[in-house]
Amino acid sequence: MLRKTLILIVLIALLAACAPQTTPEVDFAPTEIPATEAPVAVAPEHNLTDGCVAEGEYDASIDYFPEKATLAQTENFSIEYFNNYKVVTIATPYPGAAESVEYVLVQCGTPAPDGFLDEQIIEVPVQTIVTMSTSYLPFLDELGLLDRLVGLDDATYVSNTTVLKMAEEGKLTMLGYGSGVNVEKALELAPDLIMTYGSGAPDYDAHPVLIEAGLKVALNAEWMDTSPLGRAEWGKFIAAFFNKEADAEALFAEKARKYEELKALAAGVTEKPTVFTGSAYQGTWNVPGGNSFAAAFLKDAGADYLWADDTSTGSLPLAFEAVFEKAKDADYWVNVGFFFTLADVLTADARYADFAAYKNGNVWNNDAKTSPAGGNDYYESAVAHPEIVLADLIKIFHPDLLPDHELVYYRQLK
Amino acid sequence: MSSPFPKLGLRAWIVVLLLVILAAAFILSLTLGSVRIPPEQVWRILTGGEPDKASWADVIFKFRLPKAITALLVGAALSAAGLQMQTLFRNPLADPFILGVSSGASLGVALVILGTGAGSASAFIAGLNTFGDLSLALAASLGAGTVLGAVLLVSRRVQNTVTLLILGLMFGYLTNAVVSLLIYFSQPERVQVFSLWASGSFGGVTWNQMRVFAPVAVAGLFIGFVMIKPLNALLLGDDYARSLGLNVRRARFWIILSASILAGVSTAFCGPIWFIGVAVPHVARTLLNTADHRALLPASMLMGASFALVADVIAQSPGSQYVLPLNVVMSLFGVPVILWVILRQRQLRFS
Repeated sequence: MLRKTLILIVLIALLAACAPQTTPEVDFAPTEIPATEAPVAVAPEHNLTDGCVAEGEYDASIDYFPEKATLAQTENFSIEYFNNYKVVTIATPYPGAAESVEYVLVQCGTPAPDGFLDEQIIEVPVQTIVTMSTSYLPFLDELGLLDRLVGLDDATYVSNTTVLKMAEEGKLTMLGYGSGVNVEKALELAPDLIMTYGSGAPDYDAHPVLIEAGLKVALNAEWMDTSPLGRAEWGKFIAAFFNKEADAEALFAEKARKYEELKALAAGVTEKPTVFTGSAYQGTWNVPGGNSFAAAFLKDAGADYLWADDTSTGSLPLAFEAVFEKAKDADYWVNVGFFFTLADVLTADARYADFAAYKNGNVWNNDAKTSPAGGNDYYESAVAHPEIVLADLIKIFHPDLLPDHELVYYRQLK
Repeated sequence: MSSPFPKLGLRAWIVVLLLVILAAAFILSLTLGSVRIPPEQVWRILTGGEPDKASWADVIFKFRLPKAITALLVGAALSAAGLQMQTLFRNPLADPFILGVSSGASLGVALVILGTGAGSASAFIAGLNTFGDLSLALAASLGAGTVLGAVLLVSRRVQNTVTLLILGLMFGYLTNAVVSLLIYFSQPERVQVFSLWASGSFGGVTWNQMRVFAPVAVAGLFIGFVMIKPLNALLLGDDYARSLGLNVRRARFWIILSASILAGVSTAFCGPIWFIGVAVPHVARTLLNTADHRALLPASMLMGASFALVADVIAQSPGSQYVLPLNVVMSLFGVPVILWVILRQRQLRFS
């Protein structure tokens, strides 16, 4: 009995000796500044656009995002910065969305915060990205990130020459679009991020199946923004995934400045020409609402959009006869649709000839920059350059205001 | 078969009443629409006078008149086609599209709108504009015609009419499956364009298109009239009709041809229009209390035309600028009316 107790005591003593010791406190003299050689985390001067925080260097008190984005024009997304992660919130990620969506962009090499789903957590800076809309390409291009592009939904309608070349050289994987997206190829490609959009009908969208397969997907809702500058500001959304806020801020500031300058120029006109857009299909003419994206451009360009009083942000399905009655004597007809020449317009429906704008040849279309495969650059690079579109429109409606500007996205139908 | 005319006097009175209703519906369709035009202005325009607003004359002649004529012809065409199909297959639920004609037309249109065609988009667009406003109708007609051709080919070899019905259904399923496949792989924006076509509309037919549409529709109706006697014979069954000296195969061929032309041309120019083909023949049967096609065919045509005109007026939602999808209006407003007609008659019979 006694021997067992003794052995027990010895064992316990041994265990106590082996217990983890607290580090001996080194007493620094208050005046001495310790010179250490062990790596200590230093707050970065710029966002880490390439690479992660090294192993063991993470310091929770450091702000890893000294360059932040501030959002002035768009109301649909916001970015909240924390020391090592950013929370990007999209209020309405797709039409009819019941709730907002949040993405947690965690600086790679640092721990992710708690309280978020795995699918929301995305490590930044993203190294490889797949885009499912050509409208994201101009932003990637101006931020110098095209080398990180590894896949597209489809290259047919792309206008960006660099991307087209990459596709030709086989550097990009095509995943298809909508619910028919090739999930297996996507898994094999394993991109850091797939950026796509929600159409409002989840059955036809790509993102539900991709998320279910475990891939990181970010929804981009720039197409829903009804303000031209707001839409261009989504460049900062894309930049956030690459920690390139500084560049995005500078680029956007310049575009906004030019846009406001042009807008002020057009605001000073005394006579505003009347204008209408679109064309009829099967007897129904979808007319952009007064608060829509298209209407915003027309208003800023100093034109009198015939449906400016309407408050809808989408389009109105109107009867051809209703549009005819209202727009018969309008000065300009823009954004006409799939027509190459004035003759084509007439072939589609002889009734277009009764519009004054048609009779005067004041018919303009936004397809001047179309690739041979049919990709209209208006839906690609113009998203990132509303100031150029505005200049084009002002040139059309008030040619004397911008005598030196040459049309980029628009052309007159002949 | 020499069944006596069902009460000649009553029938003539009904025809006159139907014509009056049709005329009223036609005038209603010209008067009501998105643009508010006072009725006396409409009358002034129609009688060649000068309206207060010049654009109103254009609205009447260039928009409402072709639309009204289209609605009239399509309503008559689909009702006649539906009646023929119901008799041929002895199936009260048969509609003009039972042989897959509408599915064939949908396939033609889907290939144009959703398919990437022969390569580049600009080629597809250029091709689209070659025929202009007839291009979609052409695509739909080719699709419908292909299915029709297949069905007719088979009908010459098949003895049993029920087999033909099943084959028609199968063709329909096959083409619908291909259309669904095209939708599955398409961009959402294009799918939206396609579903716009699929919701049906009388307003897309211009005078230019009318030059093709009207003669074809009238031809189909004419063939239908010629087929009245064979249709009556077929009411008693294939064998009995054969014993009366009817060449059943030839009659079937022409009946299918007539119904398919009518259904095909309607779908080609206006998109698939449901409901009229099934419902109107039943209303005619119930109201006239006869199965004789000498009465039923003209009555169905007139009723169908009126119904289509009224449905179109509702779809144009007069007073507001918006346009409702036609098929939706047909079902929403048509179903209660049909139910009322049929159930009411049932009560009378039992009393």
